Amino acid sequence: MAVEIEGLTKNFGSVRALRGLDLSVPTGQVTGFLGPNGSGKTTTIRVLLGLLRSDGGRVSLLGGDPWADAVALHRRIAYVPGDVTLWPNLTGGEAIDILVRLSGSLDPKRKALMLDRFELNPTTKARAYSKGNRQKVALVAALASDAELLLLDEPTSGLDPLMEAAFTESIREVKAAGKSVLLSSHIFAEVERLADRVTIIRDGVTVESGTIAELRHLTRTQVTTLIDSGAAGLASLPGVHDFVTVDGRATFAVDDAAMPAVLAAVAALNPRSLVANPPSLEALFLRHYGNELAALAGGDRK
Amino acid sequence: MTALLPATAVDAPTGTRRPSDALAGLSTMVRLIVRRNRVRLAVWVVVLVGMFSFIASYYHTLFPTQQSLDEFAAVSNTPGIKAMTGLSAAADTLGGAVWTKGWMTIAVSLAIGAAFLVTRTGRADEEEGRTELLRSRMLGLHAYATASWLVNGLLCVVVGAGIALASASNNLDPQGTGIAGSLIFGASIAGVGLVGLGVGAVAGQVASTSRGANALASAVIIGFYVLRMVGDLGNGALSWASPIGWGQQMQPYGGNRWWPLALLLALAAVLLALATLIESRRDHGSGLLAERPGPADAQSRMASPLGLGLRLQRGPIIGWAIAIVLTSLLFGSIVDAMNTFLTDAGGAMANMLRGIGVNALLALLAGMIGLIAGVFATQSAVSLRTDEASEIVEIQLAGALSRTRWALERLLIPAVGSAALLLLGGGGFGAVYGSTIGDSSQAVTMAGAALAYWPAVMILVGIAVALFGWLPSVAIPVTWGVMASMWFAMMLGEVFGLPTWLLDALPFSAVPYMPLEAMSWTPLVIMTTVAALLIWSGLDRFARRDVRPG
Repeated sequence: MAVEIEGLTKNFGSVRALRGLDLSVPTGQVTGFLGPNGSGKTTTIRVLLGLLRSDGGRVSLLGGDPWADAVALHRRIAYVPGDVTLWPNLTGGEAIDILVRLSGSLDPKRKALMLDRFELNPTTKARAYSKGNRQKVALVAALASDAELLLLDEPTSGLDPLMEAAFTESIREVKAAGKSVLLSSHIFAEVERLADRVTIIRDGVTVESGTIAELRHLTRTQVTTLIDSGAAGLASLPGVHDFVTVDGRATFAVDDAAMPAVLAAVAALNPRSLVANPPSLEALFLRHYGNELAALAGGDRK
Repeated sequence: MTALLPATAVDAPTGTRRPSDALAGLSTMVRLIVRRNRVRLAVWVVVLVGMFSFIASYYHTLFPTQQSLDEFAAVSNTPGIKAMTGLSAAADTLGGAVWTKGWMTIAVSLAIGAAFLVTRTGRADEEEGRTELLRSRMLGLHAYATASWLVNGLLCVVVGAGIALASASNNLDPQGTGIAGSLIFGASIAGVGLVGLGVGAVAGQVASTSRGANALASAVIIGFYVLRMVGDLGNGALSWASPIGWGQQMQPYGGNRWWPLALLLALAAVLLALATLIESRRDHGSGLLAERPGPADAQSRMASPLGLGLRLQRGPIIGWAIAIVLTSLLFGSIVDAMNTFLTDAGGAMANMLRGIGVNALLALLAGMIGLIAGVFATQSAVSLRTDEASEIVEIQLAGALSRTRWALERLLIPAVGSAALLLLGGGGFGAVYGSTIGDSSQAVTMAGAALAYWPAVMILVGIAVALFGWLPSVAIPVTWGVMASMWFAMMLGEVFGLPTWLLDALPFSAVPYMPLEAMSWTPLVIMTTVAALLIWSGLDRFARRDVRPG
């Protein structure tokens, strides 16, 4: 495990930012880290960086203590914040060198490759960069260093779609090299594309965690079918929910366990077309944003 | 797989950090700080050492004989000089004359400069998130701060060494004392600078914003200055409560004492140790003074630029009001005591006070109140550019609000606020002084004398606005540079050989010197017109140019 967190708590005065958070990032995998704004993602990452001292729980980063061994561990990690601020009178290239050299030697070829990939001009003074370009500086600095673990906090905020593609390519390379990634993001497509596992948090506690495939089992498949003889009979089957008919097309959600029986019933009615969509990460996520699990999360609260 | 492990509270697991880690990355940080501040550091050295060298060489030609030095020493022995700059322990030597003229200005400038430079790479970078990016790398907890202390400490030492060298090469030391006085002079400057650095280091740990850190550090250093001011006017006891007083008591060219330097270095070391301790105890991004939650809804008056500006500048406005009240109370309570010395000084007061008698002293102190109001108004006026540079203004201008209206409403704060501060300061000063001599009309007299500085203050605002309109990218440093140049010209103008007409035309010199001089409307009307033109020009330009974030 690259990161193992159990029962992490962190208070800011009377504000309980983390209330027993669990998170694990297996070595060699990309772990997506989702949660609404203010749910504690950045606080968790700052604890992992040794910038904040945890108030309780166990935190292990690459087998070490992120607070006590901060300096030694930081040789092996790289970090990209979601909101990058740079020194206004230094160039982007200078900022990259300073950041990379702090953690070891700089491979000029790798820096040049990343600058090229992200189309970043390193001779521009940081005050002239747009938000996206400042973001690229932090990305290039992280990707140009030889880190075992990347901690990425909404790393693509402000990037255009082409640059997001470059980012995807880079993360796949990182993964192929056996390195681990913690990816905090609000872009579901990005997480679905890159992540092996996902952890969803809310109000400072973990509400869901597992591989994307595992999480899909927790929710329902969306089925749309066109049946000439009418599909009304399907509505009463066990495991079928939210049944609506529009222009002869029946749309409903099916529990995972009821899928074989429902499909058999549909087949018996001679459907003209059938579309079955697995739940998107977005649907999973919205479910947890919604009230359903708020109650669950609230149960932990005193 | 389930990760919903029991969220039982495990004891906080964080062990102690290896001390050897604390400074990892120090050399990289030293290079970063030098790279980022090389121009600033060079300017500080050149300006401070250059100022000293100018005074030294000028006084060489001004006081060619011992008799002229004796006369100058007699002239200098006044409460006014004691209050503002302190009096040299060897006032009748060439070095002593230079000390009286330059030591306080250089020492206080270096102390405040060192504190601000520490904030720039300390709290400011932490507030902006740059330190977080650095600390995500192999950077020890204390490395960035320590690097900043090393670089800025070296600045203090270099300034001190440069001054010692300039003093020795100008033969300021009295005969038969070698260069001891020169070395002591330089060391006292460096020592006071290092205390300023320590104050800045602690302020950066206590406050959670760079603005707060700078305000706190300035307040402490100005407090040191006022303590020694009261001490120097009295029996000297309070001077020993102030590090600036310790620096004075090194008495270059006179007593030539080294031991107060130990006090300065010890205090600097204690302050840096305290800053290190706080840094190792607190969370990154926080200060000792925590941010508290505020109201969920804005009051309706905050929707206007004026209302919002008042709310945002509430802290500085209250701070300056307190500062001016305290200053005026202090001034008011010491005038009568100083007056007994004044009569002894006789006609020799002409130089510092531009006249004699208690009225000259009252006029001098009214001028200082005017200066405080001027700093407030300038700070408030440059916030136009601060808000533009940080892009805060864009979301306001995106609403149904013209640029001119936005700027004019914001300028009401320095315009009305400085008038209020002048009335408050002058009135308080006069009321306290009046109560010591049983003359209640002094409150009105001094309020009027202080308010006469309003047009001069508005010229400073006008300069800030004109620069904001025409040269936005450098407006803030140039505005403060112009303000500082005016101050130096007033203090040291004759040293630099500036013509008298120019010195008399400086806004603060052109104000009728009441109550010593009679009220005169002509300069006030001219200055108000000039200020209005400067403001109009700046706002007109701002309405036509691009809005440029910095």
